[in-house]
Amino acid sequence: MHDRPSRPWLLALVLVVITGGVAYALLSSEPSGTDAANVGDSGRGEAPDPEERQCKATRSNPGGTNNYIPDGPAAESLGDGFIITGRVRAAADCKPLEDLRIQVWLATETGGEQDNRASVHTDADGVYRIETDPTVAQFGEPNIHVGYDDGDYREVFIRRVVDLDDKRAVVNLTLRR
Amino acid sequence: MSSLRLGAAVALLALPLAVALTDTHLEGQSAALVISTAAAALAVSALALQPLLAGTGRLRWHRMLGGIALALVLLHLGALYLESPEDTLFALSLDGPTRGRMAALATAALIAVVALGVLRRRLPMASATWRILHGFLAGLVIFLGFGHAILTDGALDGFGTPVLLAFGAVALVGVGSAFAARRRRARSSAAASR
Repeated sequence: MHDRPSRPWLLALVLVVITGGVAYALLSSEPSGTDAANVGDSGRGEAPDPEERQCKATRSNPGGTNNYIPDGPAAESLGDGFIITGRVRAAADCKPLEDLRIQVWLATETGGEQDNRASVHTDADGVYRIETDPTVAQFGEPNIHVGYDDGDYREVFIRRVVDLDDKRAVVNLTLRR
Repeated sequence: MSSLRLGAAVALLALPLAVALTDTHLEGQSAALVISTAAAALAVSALALQPLLAGTGRLRWHRMLGGIALALVLLHLGALYLESPEDTLFALSLDGPTRGRMAALATAALIAVVALGVLRRRLPMASATWRILHGFLAGLVIFLGFGHAILTDGALDGFGTPVLLAFGAVALVGVGSAFAARRRRARSSAAASR
Protein backbone atom coordinates (compact mmCIF):
# COMPACT_ATOMS: atom_id res chain seq x y z
CA MET A 1 0.00 0.00 0.00
CA HIS A 2 1.36 3.40 -0.93
CA ASP A 3 -1.07 5.32 1.30
CA ARG A 4 0.76 5.35 4.62
CA PRO A 5 2.06 8.12 6.86
CA SER A 6 5.45 9.19 5.54
CA ARG A 7 6.89 9.54 9.06
CA PRO A 8 4.85 7.19 11.27
CA TRP A 9 7.09 7.74 14.32
CA LEU A 10 6.58 11.47 14.23
CA LEU A 11 2.82 11.04 13.92
CA ALA A 12 2.78 8.50 16.77
CA LEU A 13 4.80 10.92 18.92
CA VAL A 14 2.37 13.77 18.20
CA LEU A 15 -0.62 11.59 19.15
CA VAL A 16 1.07 10.39 22.35
CA VAL A 17 1.98 13.96 23.37
CA ILE A 18 -1.58 15.20 22.74
CA THR A 19 -3.09 12.27 24.68
CA GLY A 20 -0.66 12.77 27.56
CA GLY A 21 -1.31 16.51 27.68
CA VAL A 22 -5.07 16.04 27.73
CA ALA A 23 -4.83 13.33 30.41
CA TYR A 24 -2.60 15.54 32.54
CA ALA A 25 -4.90 18.56 32.12
CA LEU A 26 -7.94 16.53 33.20
CA LEU A 27 -6.30 14.66 36.07
CA SER A 28 -4.78 17.85 37.50
CA SER A 29 -8.17 19.57 37.62
CA GLU A 30 -10.60 19.34 40.54
CA PRO A 31 -14.14 18.12 39.74
CA SER A 32 -15.83 21.31 40.98
CA GLY A 33 -12.92 23.75 40.68
CA THR A 34 -9.95 24.46 42.94
CA ASP A 35 -10.78 23.94 46.65
CA ALA A 36 -14.52 23.93 45.95
CA ALA A 37 -15.45 21.17 48.39
CA ASN A 38 -19.00 19.85 48.52
CA VAL A 39 -20.42 21.28 51.74
CA GLY A 40 -24.03 20.26 51.26
CA ASP A 41 -25.95 17.87 53.49
CA SER A 42 -29.49 16.77 54.32
CA GLY A 43 -29.85 19.53 56.92
CA ARG A 44 -30.63 17.06 59.71
CA GLY A 45 -28.63 17.17 62.93
CA GLU A 46 -25.84 19.45 64.03
CA ALA A 47 -23.89 21.35 61.41
CA PRO A 48 -20.45 19.76 61.01
CA ASP A 49 -17.66 21.73 62.67
CA PRO A 50 -14.42 19.71 62.46
CA GLU A 51 -12.16 20.55 65.41
CA GLU A 52 -8.91 20.32 63.48
CA ARG A 53 -9.97 23.18 61.23
CA GLN A 54 -11.43 25.49 63.86
CA CYS A 55 -8.24 27.49 64.52
CA LYS A 56 -6.85 27.32 60.99
CA ALA A 57 -7.46 30.52 59.05
CA THR A 58 -9.87 29.91 56.16
CA ARG A 59 -8.36 30.67 52.77
CA SER A 60 -10.27 32.25 49.91
CA ASN A 61 -10.55 29.95 46.93
CA PRO A 62 -10.54 30.70 43.19
CA GLY A 63 -13.93 31.84 41.96
CA GLY A 64 -14.85 33.01 45.48
CA THR A 65 -15.55 36.54 44.28
CA ASN A 66 -17.55 35.48 41.19
CA ASN A 67 -20.65 37.69 40.94
CA TYR A 68 -19.81 39.43 44.23
CA ILE A 69 -21.49 42.80 44.69
CA PRO A 70 -20.25 44.52 47.88
CA ASP A 71 -22.67 45.23 50.73
CA GLY A 72 -25.42 42.71 50.19
CA PRO A 73 -28.71 44.00 51.64
CA ALA A 74 -29.50 42.95 55.20
CA ALA A 75 -32.07 40.17 54.91
CA GLU A 76 -33.65 37.67 57.27
CA SER A 77 -34.35 35.24 54.46
CA LEU A 78 -34.01 34.64 50.73
CA GLY A 79 -36.87 32.16 50.56
CA ASP A 80 -37.23 28.74 52.11
CA GLY A 81 -36.09 25.18 51.62
CA PHE A 82 -32.32 25.59 51.89
CA ILE A 83 -30.11 26.83 54.73
CA ILE A 84 -26.66 28.34 54.60
CA THR A 85 -25.00 28.40 57.99
CA GLY A 86 -21.65 28.24 59.73
CA ARG A 87 -19.63 29.33 62.73
CA VAL A 88 -17.17 32.19 62.51
CA ARG A 89 -14.06 32.19 64.69
CA ALA A 90 -10.92 34.24 65.19
CA ALA A 91 -7.72 32.47 64.13
CA ALA A 92 -5.79 33.99 67.05
CA ASP A 93 -7.72 32.27 69.86
CA CYS A 94 -10.29 30.03 68.09
CA LYS A 95 -13.09 31.89 69.91
CA PRO A 96 -16.41 32.52 68.15
CA LEU A 97 -16.88 36.04 66.79
CA GLU A 98 -20.16 37.70 67.65
CA ASP A 99 -22.03 40.29 65.58
CA LEU A 100 -19.85 39.99 62.51
CA ARG A 101 -21.36 40.64 59.11
CA ILE A 102 -21.17 37.71 56.67
CA GLN A 103 -22.36 37.97 53.08
CA VAL A 104 -23.87 35.10 51.12
CA TRP A 105 -24.94 34.86 47.49
CA LEU A 106 -26.17 32.00 45.34
CA ALA A 107 -28.35 31.08 42.36
CA THR A 108 -31.82 29.79 43.30
CA GLU A 109 -35.10 29.20 41.53
CA THR A 110 -35.90 32.90 41.97
CA GLY A 111 -32.77 34.37 40.44
CA GLY A 112 -29.04 34.30 39.77
CA GLU A 113 -26.15 35.00 42.10
CA GLN A 114 -26.38 38.74 41.58
CA ASP A 115 -30.08 38.77 42.51
CA ASN A 116 -29.91 36.51 45.57
CA ARG A 117 -27.53 38.13 48.00
CA ALA A 118 -27.79 39.01 51.63
CA SER A 119 -25.85 40.19 54.68
CA VAL A 120 -26.39 38.32 57.94
CA HIS A 121 -24.81 38.74 61.38
CA THR A 122 -23.33 36.13 63.70
CA ASP A 123 -24.98 35.46 67.06
CA ALA A 124 -23.32 35.08 70.48
CA ASP A 125 -22.03 31.63 69.44
CA GLY A 126 -20.48 33.04 66.27
CA VAL A 127 -23.15 31.37 64.14
CA TYR A 128 -24.70 32.95 61.05
CA ARG A 129 -27.68 31.38 59.34
CA ILE A 130 -29.95 32.29 56.44
CA GLU A 131 -32.69 30.35 54.70
CA THR A 132 -32.97 30.57 50.92
CA ASP A 133 -34.92 28.97 48.13
CA PRO A 134 -33.48 25.66 46.87
CA THR A 135 -30.29 26.00 44.85
CA VAL A 136 -30.17 25.50 41.10
CA ALA A 137 -27.25 24.60 38.88
CA GLN A 138 -25.21 27.63 37.89
CA PHE A 139 -22.67 26.95 35.15
CA GLY A 140 -23.12 23.24 35.50
CA GLU A 141 -23.36 22.77 39.27
CA PRO A 142 -25.18 24.36 42.21
CA ASN A 143 -22.71 26.50 44.12
CA ILE A 144 -22.83 28.96 46.96
CA HIS A 145 -20.68 31.90 47.99
CA VAL A 146 -19.85 33.14 51.47
CA GLY A 147 -17.71 36.20 52.07
CA TYR A 148 -16.33 38.46 54.76
CA ASP A 149 -15.18 41.87 53.56
CA ASP A 150 -15.56 44.38 56.40
CA GLY A 151 -11.95 45.21 57.22
CA ASP A 152 -11.55 44.13 60.86
CA TYR A 153 -10.15 40.82 59.68
CA ARG A 154 -8.63 39.80 56.38
CA GLU A 155 -11.18 39.39 53.62
CA VAL A 156 -12.28 35.88 52.74
CA PHE A 157 -14.28 34.85 49.66
CA ILE A 158 -15.48 31.27 49.44
CA ARG A 159 -16.96 29.26 46.59
CA ARG A 160 -18.33 25.84 47.54
CA VAL A 161 -20.63 23.38 45.80
CA VAL A 162 -23.66 21.37 46.94
CA ASP A 163 -25.88 18.70 45.40
CA LEU A 164 -29.26 19.67 43.96
CA ASP A 165 -31.17 17.73 46.63
CA ASP A 166 -29.20 19.08 49.60
CA LYS A 167 -31.07 21.07 52.23
CA ARG A 168 -28.14 22.79 53.91
CA ALA A 169 -24.66 24.12 53.21
CA VAL A 170 -22.23 24.55 56.10
CA VAL A 171 -19.38 27.02 55.65
CA ASN A 172 -17.38 27.70 58.81
CA LEU A 173 -14.95 30.58 58.67
CA THR A 174 -11.86 31.27 60.73
CA LEU A 175 -10.66 34.84 60.22
CA ARG A 176 -7.24 36.32 60.86
CA ARG A 177 -6.16 39.89 61.16
CA MET B 1 -33.76 8.30 0.99
CA SER B 2 -37.52 7.99 1.38
CA SER B 3 -39.37 10.83 3.07
CA LEU B 4 -40.26 8.50 5.92
CA ARG B 5 -36.61 7.73 6.63
CA LEU B 6 -35.67 11.38 6.25
CA GLY B 7 -38.38 12.33 8.73
CA ALA B 8 -37.16 9.72 11.21
CA ALA B 9 -33.57 10.96 10.84
CA VAL B 10 -34.59 14.58 11.42
CA ALA B 11 -36.68 13.58 14.46
CA LEU B 12 -33.73 11.65 15.88
CA LEU B 13 -31.36 14.54 15.29
CA ALA B 14 -33.79 16.96 16.96
CA LEU B 15 -34.00 14.75 20.07
CA PRO B 16 -31.22 16.43 22.15
CA LEU B 17 -32.69 19.86 21.34
CA ALA B 18 -36.21 18.74 22.27
CA VAL B 19 -35.01 17.21 25.55
CA ALA B 20 -33.02 20.34 26.45
CA LEU B 21 -35.73 22.87 25.62
CA THR B 22 -38.41 20.99 27.58
CA ASP B 23 -36.21 20.54 30.68
CA THR B 24 -37.18 22.39 33.85
CA HIS B 25 -33.61 23.70 34.07
CA LEU B 26 -34.39 26.42 31.52
CA GLU B 27 -37.60 27.64 33.21
CA GLY B 28 -37.38 31.37 33.81
CA GLN B 29 -33.82 31.57 32.50
CA SER B 30 -32.41 34.34 30.32
CA ALA B 31 -32.50 34.32 26.53
CA ALA B 32 -28.69 33.99 26.53
CA LEU B 33 -28.83 30.76 28.52
CA VAL B 34 -31.63 29.32 26.36
CA ILE B 35 -29.69 30.14 23.17
CA SER B 36 -26.49 28.74 24.65
CA THR B 37 -28.22 25.50 25.63
CA ALA B 38 -29.99 25.15 22.28
CA ALA B 39 -26.71 25.67 20.41
CA ALA B 40 -25.02 23.02 22.57
CA ALA B 41 -27.86 20.52 22.03
CA LEU B 42 -27.71 21.05 18.25
CA ALA B 43 -23.92 20.61 18.36
CA VAL B 44 -24.50 17.20 20.02
CA SER B 45 -26.48 16.09 16.96
CA ALA B 46 -24.01 17.64 14.51
CA LEU B 47 -21.01 15.93 16.14
CA ALA B 48 -22.80 12.56 16.21
CA LEU B 49 -23.61 12.82 12.50
CA GLN B 50 -20.19 14.04 11.30
CA PRO B 51 -18.26 10.73 11.30
CA LEU B 52 -21.17 9.00 9.53
CA LEU B 53 -21.10 11.62 6.76
CA ALA B 54 -17.34 11.21 6.38
CA GLY B 55 -17.55 7.40 6.43
CA THR B 56 -20.26 7.28 3.76
CA GLY B 57 -18.39 9.68 1.50
CA ARG B 58 -20.79 12.61 1.81
CA LEU B 59 -17.87 15.02 2.02
CA ARG B 60 -19.68 18.20 0.96
CA TRP B 61 -22.19 17.72 3.74
CA HIS B 62 -19.37 16.72 6.10
CA ARG B 63 -17.49 19.98 5.41
CA MET B 64 -20.57 22.12 5.76
CA LEU B 65 -21.72 20.47 8.97
CA GLY B 66 -18.19 20.74 10.39
CA GLY B 67 -18.35 24.51 10.00
CA ILE B 68 -21.82 24.57 11.51
CA ALA B 69 -20.70 22.45 14.49
CA LEU B 70 -17.85 24.85 15.22
CA ALA B 71 -20.19 27.85 14.87
CA LEU B 72 -22.65 26.22 17.32
CA VAL B 73 -19.93 25.54 19.87
CA LEU B 74 -18.66 29.14 19.62
CA LEU B 75 -22.26 30.41 19.92
CA HIS B 76 -22.70 28.23 23.05
CA LEU B 77 -19.55 29.76 24.55
CA GLY B 78 -20.36 33.33 23.48
CA ALA B 79 -23.88 33.19 24.89
CA LEU B 80 -22.52 31.86 28.20
CA TYR B 81 -20.08 34.77 28.22
CA LEU B 82 -23.00 37.19 27.77
CA GLU B 83 -24.84 35.41 30.62
CA SER B 84 -21.90 35.80 33.01
CA PRO B 85 -18.39 36.76 31.85
CA GLU B 86 -16.93 36.00 35.27
CA ASP B 87 -18.37 32.49 35.53
CA THR B 88 -17.38 31.69 31.92
CA LEU B 89 -13.77 32.80 32.35
CA PHE B 90 -13.57 30.98 35.70
CA ALA B 91 -14.90 27.75 34.18
CA LEU B 92 -12.23 27.92 31.47
CA SER B 93 -9.43 28.96 33.84
CA LEU B 94 -6.86 26.61 35.37
CA ASP B 95 -8.88 26.72 38.61
CA GLY B 96 -12.10 25.77 36.83
CA PRO B 97 -13.92 22.45 37.28
CA THR B 98 -13.04 19.33 35.26
CA ARG B 99 -16.10 19.79 33.03
CA GLY B 100 -14.86 23.30 32.12
CA ARG B 101 -11.40 21.94 31.31
CA MET B 102 -13.00 19.33 29.07
CA ALA B 103 -15.00 22.05 27.30
CA ALA B 104 -11.91 24.20 26.70
CA LEU B 105 -9.88 21.26 25.34
CA ALA B 106 -12.79 20.01 23.21
CA THR B 107 -13.17 23.47 21.66
CA ALA B 108 -9.44 23.69 20.94
CA ALA B 109 -9.50 20.22 19.37
CA LEU B 110 -12.56 21.13 17.28
CA ILE B 111 -10.83 24.25 15.97
CA ALA B 112 -7.82 22.09 15.06
CA VAL B 113 -10.06 19.52 13.31
CA VAL B 114 -11.78 22.22 11.25
CA ALA B 115 -8.44 23.92 10.48
CA LEU B 116 -7.06 20.57 9.25
CA GLY B 117 -10.13 20.24 7.05
CA VAL B 118 -9.81 23.72 5.57
CA LEU B 119 -6.03 23.48 5.03
CA ARG B 120 -5.98 19.89 3.81
CA ARG B 121 -4.49 20.58 0.38
CA ARG B 122 -2.01 23.14 1.62
CA LEU B 123 -0.53 21.04 4.42
CA PRO B 124 2.73 19.22 3.63
CA MET B 125 1.61 15.85 4.94
CA ALA B 126 0.73 12.48 3.44
CA SER B 127 -3.00 11.98 3.09
CA ALA B 128 -2.84 9.03 5.53
CA THR B 129 -1.12 11.24 8.12
CA TRP B 130 -3.79 13.88 7.62
CA ARG B 131 -6.59 11.33 7.97
CA ILE B 132 -5.21 9.80 11.17
CA LEU B 133 -4.65 13.24 12.74
CA HIS B 134 -8.11 14.51 11.69
CA GLY B 135 -9.83 11.35 12.94
CA PHE B 136 -7.85 11.23 16.19
CA LEU B 137 -8.65 14.86 17.02
CA ALA B 138 -12.30 14.28 16.07
CA GLY B 139 -12.38 11.37 18.55
CA LEU B 140 -10.93 13.72 21.16
CA VAL B 141 -13.62 16.34 20.43
CA ILE B 142 -16.30 13.70 20.93
CA PHE B 143 -14.81 12.25 24.14
CA LEU B 144 -14.18 15.68 25.71
CA GLY B 145 -17.29 17.41 24.40
CA PHE B 146 -19.73 14.67 25.37
CA GLY B 147 -17.86 14.15 28.67
CA HIS B 148 -18.30 17.86 29.39
CA ALA B 149 -22.01 17.63 28.65
CA ILE B 150 -22.50 14.52 30.79
CA LEU B 151 -20.67 16.03 33.79
CA THR B 152 -22.64 19.28 33.55
CA ASP B 153 -25.80 19.66 35.68
CA GLY B 154 -28.14 21.27 33.21
CA ALA B 155 -30.86 20.87 30.63
CA LEU B 156 -29.45 17.54 29.38
CA ASP B 157 -29.70 15.84 32.77
CA GLY B 158 -32.16 13.08 33.50
CA PHE B 159 -33.34 11.65 30.16
CA GLY B 160 -30.65 13.79 28.56
CA THR B 161 -27.87 11.63 30.01
CA PRO B 162 -28.74 8.39 28.14
CA VAL B 163 -29.33 10.52 25.01
CA LEU B 164 -25.83 11.99 25.37
CA LEU B 165 -24.30 8.56 25.98
CA ALA B 166 -26.07 7.12 22.92
CA PHE B 167 -25.14 10.02 20.61
CA GLY B 168 -21.56 9.97 21.91
CA ALA B 169 -21.32 6.22 21.30
CA VAL B 170 -22.70 6.63 17.75
CA ALA B 171 -20.11 9.34 17.11
CA LEU B 172 -17.15 7.30 18.40
CA VAL B 173 -18.26 4.15 16.56
CA GLY B 174 -18.71 6.40 13.51
CA VAL B 175 -15.06 7.49 13.63
CA GLY B 176 -13.92 3.87 13.71
CA SER B 177 -16.25 2.82 10.91
CA ALA B 178 -15.16 5.77 8.76
CA PHE B 179 -11.60 4.43 8.91
CA ALA B 180 -12.80 0.90 8.17
CA ALA B 181 -14.88 2.13 5.20
CA ARG B 182 -11.92 4.04 3.83
CA ARG B 183 -9.69 0.97 4.07
CA ARG B 184 -12.35 -1.15 2.32
CA ARG B 185 -12.64 1.39 -0.49
CA ALA B 186 -8.85 1.62 -0.88
CA ARG B 187 -8.58 -2.17 -1.05
CA SER B 188 -11.35 -2.60 -3.61
CA SER B 189 -9.97 0.17 -5.84
CA ALA B 190 -6.50 -1.41 -5.61
CA ALA B 191 -8.04 -4.75 -6.62
CA ALA B 192 -9.90 -3.09 -9.50
CA SER B 193 -6.76 -1.44 -10.87
CA ARG B 194 -4.84 -4.71 -10.87
